Amino acid sequence: MRRGSLVQLIVLGLIAGAITGAVAWWIPWLPESAGEEADRIDFVFWFVTVIAVAVFATVVAVLVYSVVKFRAKPDDLSDGPPTHGHTGLEIWWTAIPTVLVTAISIVSAIVLAQNSRAGNALEIKVVAQQFAWQFTYPNGQTYGSLRIPNGRPTRLDITAKDVLHSFWVPQLGQKQDAVPGQHNRIVITPNRTGIFPVICTELCGLGHAIMRSQVQVMEPAAYRRWVRSGGKPAGNEDPGLAVFNGQGCNGCHTFTAAASGAQIGPNLDQLQDEAKGAAKPLEAFIRESILNPDAYIEPSYQAGVMPSFEGRIPAKDLDALVQYLAENAKS
Amino acid sequence: MTAVAYSPHHEPPASRPSQPLTSAGWIRVLWTTPLFFALGMGLVALIRWLAGWDPVLDREVILTVELVAVPLGFLVGLGGFDYWAYYASGRPTRAENHSGHGAHSWRDYFRVNTDHKVIGVQYVVTTIFFFCVGGLLAMLFRAELAEPGTQYFNPQTFNVLISDHAALMIFLFIIPAFAGLGNYVIPLMIGAADMAFPRLNALSFWLLPIAGIMLIVGMTWPGGGPSAGWTAYAPLSSHQPDGQIFFHMAVQWAGASSIMTALNFLVTIITMRAPGMTFWRLPLLVWANFTTSLLVVIATPFIAGSQFFVLFDRVMHTSFFEVDGGGYVLGYQHIFWFYSHPAVYIMMLPGFGIISEVIAVMSRKPVFGYRLMALSLMAILVLGFSVWAHHMFVAGMASWLRVPMMVTSMVIAVPTGIKIFSWLATMWNGRIHLTTPMLFVLGFLSMFVIGGLSGIYLASVPIDIAASDTYFIVAHIHYVLFGGSVFTIFAGIYYWFPKMTGRMYNESLGKLHFWLTFVGFNLTFFPMHYIGLQGMPRRVADYADRFADINLFISIASFGLGASTVIFLYNMVYSWAHGPLAGANPWRSLTLEWQVSSPPPIFNFDEVPTVVGGPYEYGVPGARHAIFGAGAREPVPADHA
Repeated sequence: MRRGSLVQLIVLGLIAGAITGAVAWWIPWLPESAGEEADRIDFVFWFVTVIAVAVFATVVAVLVYSVVKFRAKPDDLSDGPPTHGHTGLEIWWTAIPTVLVTAISIVSAIVLAQNSRAGNALEIKVVAQQFAWQFTYPNGQTYGSLRIPNGRPTRLDITAKDVLHSFWVPQLGQKQDAVPGQHNRIVITPNRTGIFPVICTELCGLGHAIMRSQVQVMEPAAYRRWVRSGGKPAGNEDPGLAVFNGQGCNGCHTFTAAASGAQIGPNLDQLQDEAKGAAKPLEAFIRESILNPDAYIEPSYQAGVMPSFEGRIPAKDLDALVQYLAENAKS
Repeated sequence: MTAVAYSPHHEPPASRPSQPLTSAGWIRVLWTTPLFFALGMGLVALIRWLAGWDPVLDREVILTVELVAVPLGFLVGLGGFDYWAYYASGRPTRAENHSGHGAHSWRDYFRVNTDHKVIGVQYVVTTIFFFCVGGLLAMLFRAELAEPGTQYFNPQTFNVLISDHAALMIFLFIIPAFAGLGNYVIPLMIGAADMAFPRLNALSFWLLPIAGIMLIVGMTWPGGGPSAGWTAYAPLSSHQPDGQIFFHMAVQWAGASSIMTALNFLVTIITMRAPGMTFWRLPLLVWANFTTSLLVVIATPFIAGSQFFVLFDRVMHTSFFEVDGGGYVLGYQHIFWFYSHPAVYIMMLPGFGIISEVIAVMSRKPVFGYRLMALSLMAILVLGFSVWAHHMFVAGMASWLRVPMMVTSMVIAVPTGIKIFSWLATMWNGRIHLTTPMLFVLGFLSMFVIGGLSGIYLASVPIDIAASDTYFIVAHIHYVLFGGSVFTIFAGIYYWFPKMTGRMYNESLGKLHFWLTFVGFNLTFFPMHYIGLQGMPRRVADYADRFADINLFISIASFGLGASTVIFLYNMVYSWAHGPLAGANPWRSLTLEWQVSSPPPIFNFDEVPTVVGGPYEYGVPGARHAIFGAGAREPVPADHA
C-alpha cells in the first residue's frame, strides 16, 4: 500500500470518527443519572461507545475509500488482483476484536458485581399486578408509589401476582422483571433527590402502556419524618381513593373523582347505569365486579380481561373502595 | 437421472386430469377441506361425549384441532401427499414423469410443483407478499404512535398489530425468503439437477401460506387476535383471547416447513454435489445454508416445544408455566430463546452467504480468506447455542449465569468481525461495480456494523439491564434484521432476478429503491436508540408526552420507508414481464448457476459439470471453476483454492 493512500485512508477514518464521535457526544443519549448504579452503568456505556465509534469509523473509512478509489468504469471488464487472503491480517483482525470484547467483558462483570452489592439496605417488597405496583415497607405499610431515602441503598424484592412485569426507573438504571412464583432482587442507591417514573417494561396485557408509578427520592430527614408519621399519604386523602390508586384501578378505568382517564375498562363514572344494566343494587354490583369481574360484562367489553381481586385486597380496603366508588359515581 | 425420454427444456404440460373432483388440485381442495373440518369436529365431539366431558363442543379444543385438520385437508386436496398415499396403500405409484417440473403459466405456481426452481419462485413471491402485509401492519401502529394517547386502535388491537408484524416478518418473510433463494440457487450452484427430496420440498413450501394465512385470520378472530408479542411469553400468552391459538399453531406450521427445507438442504448439499465439488470448493452461499440448516434442524424443535407447552397450559390445563400448578415461568423463556437466539443466525447466515457471492462478483476479486469465512460460519453455529440467556439478563434467572453468557455473546463478535473485515478486504483493490445488488451489500455492511455494535452494548450485562425491553432493543433488532437480513434479501433478489426470470430489472429504479430504503431505514430506526435509553419501553400503545415530537418524526419516516417498497414491487412486476432479456451470465460470474441459460433448463444442466477449482477465481489467469461436456471427465486436479 502506497504511503499517499494510507494518509488518505487515515484522514477519512479521522473524519468518520469525528462525525460519529460528535453524534455520540452532542446527543444526550442517557437520562440524567440519579443513582450510583446508574453512574456505573453510564461509565460502561461510554467505555463501549469509545470502542464502538473507533470500529465504526474504521469500517466506514475503508468502505468509502474502496468505493471511491476502486470503482470500475462501466466498460471496464478487467478483474482485480487475485488476492486470496493474508494470514497476518487475518490474525490481527481476529486478535484485536478478541482483546476489545474481553476488556468490555471484564469492565461489565466488575460493574455488575458492584451494582449487586448492598450494605445496610432498606428492604422493600414490590408486588406487580395488572396494571399497578404495590410497595410494602418494613413496617407493613403498603403504597402504590415508592419513597426512598437519598444516599442509602434500597433493596427491592420483586414479584408478580399474575403475569410478567418489569420494574424500571430510567434515572436509576436498574431494571428487574417481576415473575410470578419467584422473588428477584435489585439494589438501587439514589444520589440525588427528585421524582422519577417507575415504568413497566415487560408486555403485560392491555394496560401495559399505562402501568406506571413513581419513585420519590427524599432527603433522609424528610424520609424519616414521613415514616414516623405512620407513612400516611399526603393530605386528607379518602382511604378509598388510596385503595383505588394502590390496587391499580386507575390503570384501566376512567373515574373523574380520582382524576383517572384510562380507557381500558368500563367508565366507572357510569357505575349507576351499569348497575341498572346488571339489575343489581349499586354497592352489591361494585363488590361483585371487583371480586368476580366476569359475572356481568358491559356490552362491548370482553370477559377475562380484568383479574379477580378475590384474596388480593384486604376486607377493610375493599369496604373503603366500594364505599368510595358508590359515593363518587356520578348520578 | 435417467430422464432421457424427456427434453431437458420446457415442454407443454402433461394433459390435464380428466377427473377434476378426485385429481390433485384446487377443485379437490374444495371438498377435502370441509371433509377434514367435519372429521376434526366429529373427533372432538365423539371423544368428549364418550368421556362425558362438558361441554362436548369446547371452543378452544375445537380451534386447536381444526387448525391441524383444516390445513391437512387443504394439503390432501392440493396433492401434497398423493405419492406417499399411493405407496402406503399398496397401489402402484405413478412413476415420476416430471410433468410437475417447470412452470408454463402462472397457474403452475399454484400447484404442488416438485421443481426446485418453481418452488424457489413460489417461496420468494409468497414471502414478499407477507413482507408487504407485515409492513402495512407496522405502518398502522406507527400511525397510532404518531402522537401520545389513543387515536385509532385500542390497546388490544395495538398489541395484535405489533405481535403479528413481528411474527409475519420473522416466520413468514426473513426465514422463508432465505429458504426460497437457497431453494432456487443451491442445486444450481452445486451442479445438481434438483433437490434431494423434491416432493418434500413441494410440501414444505405449501406449509408456508398455511402459516401466514393462519396468522392473518387469527388477527381478525372474534374475541381478539394474538396479542402477547412475537415472543408470546407465558403466562400472559396462555391467558389471551382465542386468536392466540392461531399464533401457536402458525408457528408450528412455519417451523415444520423450516425443518423440512433444512433437512432437504443438508441431504442435497452432502450427497448431490457435482464431481469435483469438494466442500472447500463450495460457494460460500452453500456453506452458509449448510450451517443455517444445521441450526434449523437442531434448534427449531425447541420453539415447537415452547409453543406446544403454552398451548397445553391453555387448552389441556397443564401447568408447565403456571405457578399455581407448580410450573416454572422462566422455563418458557429458556426454551423459547434456545431456539430464538440461534434463529437470529438462521436469519443472518444465509444473508452472509449472499453478501459473499455478490461482493466477489461485483468487486471482481476472490473472496478474501475463503476458508476462514467458512470456518467463522461454523464458529457462529457453535457459539450461537451458548448465548440464549442474554435475552434474560433482567428476567431473574440464575444470576451466576449472566457473566458466562455475556462472555460467549461478546465472543460471537469475533467471527462476525472476521467476516466484515474479510468483505472489506475483498473490495480492496477490486474493480467495484455499483449495481443495485452491490449497493444493498454496501448498505448491509455499514448498517450491520451498527447493529453488531449495539449488540455489544446489549451483551454487556450492566448496559443491558438499563436498555432491555426499551426502544433501544427495537432499534437494535431492526439494524440487525432490516439493515442486516432484509438488505441481503434485496441484494439476493436483485442479483438472481435475471437468472430466475431471464430478464433484467430496471437499474435506475433499483438504485432509487436502495437510496429511499437506506435513508428511510435510518431515519426510522436510528432515533429509536435515543428514546429507548431515555425511557420509552417497547410494545406500548401510549407514551410520555416528551417523546411526542420524535415519535411523529419516526412515524413519518416509516411511511417513507414503506413507500419505497412500492418502487421495488413495480420494478419486479414490470421487469418480469417486460424487462430486456438478461442472457445467461449478465454479471460475468464464475459460479455454476450462471453457466446455464436464464432461466435454467428444466433439469438445470444439459451436461453434468465437473468442478476443477474454487468458485471465486477472479483475476487468476486460466482458472476455471467447472468444465462441461464429455471431455470434462479428466482426473480432477488437487484443490488449489
